[in-house]
Amino acid sequence: MRSRLPVLRTRRRYMAFELEAEGEIQPRELMSEIHSSQFSLFGDAGAAKNRLKMISFDGRFGLLRCRHTYIRDTRAILASIYSINGIRVALHTKGVSGTIKSATEKYIPQLRKISVENDGRRIELEEVSGWIIRTHGLEVDLCPDDRNKTKGSDTRYLGLTSFDLCGGREDADGTPDGL
Amino acid sequence: MSFFECLKAYPEGTASASRLALTAKRLGYQGLIICNQEPDKVFRSEAADCIKGINLIMGVEVKAANARALRSRVFALRARYPFLVVQGTTEETIRATCEDPNVDLLLHPCDGQRPLTIASARAAKLNRVAIGFDLSPLLRLRGSSRARWLEAAKHNLILARKFDLALVITANARSHLDLRAPRDLLALAETAGFDPCEAAAALALPGRLVELNRKKWLSPGVELL
Repeated sequence: MRSRLPVLRTRRRYMAFELEAEGEIQPRELMSEIHSSQFSLFGDAGAAKNRLKMISFDGRFGLLRCRHTYIRDTRAILASIYSINGIRVALHTKGVSGTIKSATEKYIPQLRKISVENDGRRIELEEVSGWIIRTHGLEVDLCPDDRNKTKGSDTRYLGLTSFDLCGGREDADGTPDGL
Repeated sequence: MSFFECLKAYPEGTASASRLALTAKRLGYQGLIICNQEPDKVFRSEAADCIKGINLIMGVEVKAANARALRSRVFALRARYPFLVVQGTTEETIRATCEDPNVDLLLHPCDGQRPLTIASARAAKLNRVAIGFDLSPLLRLRGSSRARWLEAAKHNLILARKFDLALVITANARSHLDLRAPRDLLALAETAGFDPCEAAAALALPGRLVELNRKKWLSPGVELL
């Protein structure tokens, strides 16, 4: 609620976060999951004291508004999100700031390559075989042929790096030998 | 403070050691302890050495059906690995773990049916076994099952404080998506009832234990330099 007196206004903090997911997540889905997590962890009374609002979200980095005394609770809410509509996700807090401008400047990278390379390369190794779903820098997500390999942790893909696929060469640049 | 995390790499988890190291470095951990049940079979553990700036340590996790099997396995593995975790499953194995000074950490299942007993807590204090709180149910579960877990964790925490036990918190990650940043994990631990200082010390303790175990001890308090 908006107060006319500046001294009565609630003090806000802006929390920058990073989303790591196995698929595409829409801002609306993410916000409903954040609210569900908040209601589950702190209840309606807790949610009334700490009203969360999504300021921006670009598919990977986002900004969330919270009350200044509830930063710890907001961190716990973001950390306890496990999956969104059956897609495994992880939300990591990047930092907290007092204004949208400073939070964006400090924690949300502007000059970066958003696109993730999506290639249909196949990998055949002794321990693991499957199709590469995407590569992002050094990170490689692999869809294994044997579905039992991802059993027990609810993930769809195996998380590898290009170091794993080319025998630990230090100058690996994402074009591994085992392909 | 240097924070350490205990986790499982492929094939027991779903991310390779180097991917876990890459993610953990970005999140701000100083080190990782890989606690697979079969550490020899970890997929490309040498590839993780290419990730600079993070300390990767090979530990081992022991899971046994009865106390006798547990004791023999702990005795066999102690000399080879600097960090030894026991996953407590039954009351018998939990008691046997607490009575074994060779064990570094007992991951207690925070379960209303099998709470930490006073006798186990006293034995753990005597043998310097740290009690681990696996926070992964706090991430995975919702509703009444999470409430039950929180109640059991609170009970164990009260007992651990009473007997002044060493505490460890971990997310027990099986993939890179289970890893949480140290401050997020501390916030979760505080929600579960930990004090801020207690939680920070609990997240740093595995690193200190590894450091102590790597020194050569001739007898308690006597170090070979």
